[in-house]
Amino acid sequence: MTKKQEPKRPNKKKEAIDPHAPFLRIEKLNKFYGDLHVLKNISLSVKKGEVVVIIGASGSGKSTLLRCVNFLEKSKDGKIYIEGKRIRNQEKQLNKVRQDLGMVFQHFNLFPHMTVIQNVMEGMVQVKGMPKDDAREKALDLLEQVGLSDKAEVYPAMLSGGQKQRVAIARALAMDPKIMLFDEPTSALDPELVGEVLTVMTDLAKRGMTMLVVTHEMWFAKEVADRVVFMDEGIILEEAAPEKMFSAPEHDRTLEFLKQVLPPQEE
Amino acid sequence: MNILPWDLSAIPSRFFLFGEAAWYTVQITGLGVLLGLVIGLIVALGRLSSYRPISAASRAYIFLIRGTPLLVQLFIVYYGLTSIVTIAPIPSAVIALGVHNGAYIAEIFRGSIQSIHYGQMEAARSLGMTKGRAMRRIILPQAFKRAVPSLGNQLIIALKDSSLASTIAVPELMLRGRQMGSSTFMYMEMFIIVGIWYLLMTSVLSYIIHRIETRLKVSDRD
Repeated sequence: MTKKQEPKRPNKKKEAIDPHAPFLRIEKLNKFYGDLHVLKNISLSVKKGEVVVIIGASGSGKSTLLRCVNFLEKSKDGKIYIEGKRIRNQEKQLNKVRQDLGMVFQHFNLFPHMTVIQNVMEGMVQVKGMPKDDAREKALDLLEQVGLSDKAEVYPAMLSGGQKQRVAIARALAMDPKIMLFDEPTSALDPELVGEVLTVMTDLAKRGMTMLVVTHEMWFAKEVADRVVFMDEGIILEEAAPEKMFSAPEHDRTLEFLKQVLPPQEE
Repeated sequence: MNILPWDLSAIPSRFFLFGEAAWYTVQITGLGVLLGLVIGLIVALGRLSSYRPISAASRAYIFLIRGTPLLVQLFIVYYGLTSIVTIAPIPSAVIALGVHNGAYIAEIFRGSIQSIHYGQMEAARSLGMTKGRAMRRIILPQAFKRAVPSLGNQLIIALKDSSLASTIAVPELMLRGRQMGSSTFMYMEMFIIVGIWYLLMTSVLSYIIHRIETRLKVSDRD
């Protein structure tokens, strides 16, 4: 039924972790901005190798949820588990855990004072302590993977939005993350540049990367997601395989949202 | 023959008698601003610290130093501290200039650090960098670049302010001008020489600052 099989890597010498436990588990997360209750008791799991796409109207809390996963936003309560291990709001642990969580931002957030390849090398050299030559080699590989090896030595200011976002993806991948978090990666792009970024993301999904994606690109949700989550006013209203979500959603609110974002169906 | 009551020919003939004094001016300004940069960076980071006592202390420093004249600070260091420690004129001038400029430079750094988009910090932290490393590697290099025009301005102000050191017997330009004036009675001529020396030095500084700004633009578009 699913287009993609879960990659079956033997779970070698990992301590007592349930191999069937989800890679990422969010449990009863609540988040407030002042009096505004933006995330209401959210629970969500992502299995290893799974691509989960979160959709929903602006202000439904989907970006906030994603940002809570790597603690760029601190939630009031709720628990986050990575590979069965509880992540707490402690600097030391977070600095370690964040290396496993590749984050891609809506506005790229490339480092403007560094060239493209320096951007990609920065985490490897500074955080992982990798020798520069090795980091450079790996950075070049990654840039090739996102189709930008010819831009290695230029500064981000010389790139188009689509190219910037592909560099940002390469920068996140350089840390060998176990999951990639995408926060509306194509929302700041001109329409003609969206495709190149989605292609890179689709490619990543095909290679078995675990992904949690917040996006307005329904095409991506339909074609690449294993599971689609619809958020509305701070709750997960429903989650389903894309086939079901896009053809027969359970809630009227979902249907209404999909009607607005999808072109009219011919059938 | 002279319409003016001054002997302007004394200006070129005595001009280079001020060279050594100008060198003192350069030295106390340079060292003072260097000290000011160190103090400024520490105080700026202190002000931005989320740890209350540190940010309060930094704010108090800026409040006190920016709110009182450099001349008062100079006298406190040179005369006021004598009951505890005697500091020679030149070190006194360097300390006072450093402490004074530190407060202004702290505000320049704070502004430029805060002007860096928070997404830069988020991107750095999401790679697993500590706050300190993100500050050092990502935020400060960008903030320094934005601070250059204001720092240049501050440097020029400091150069001119260094003339106050003449009041505590530092043999710099201004004091030299006063001495030469009283020994020759050609006050106007001597202070014109002093003015020209300052103008020369500020012009060179402006040029250097401009060059630095141009070079730093490499990573920006166009």
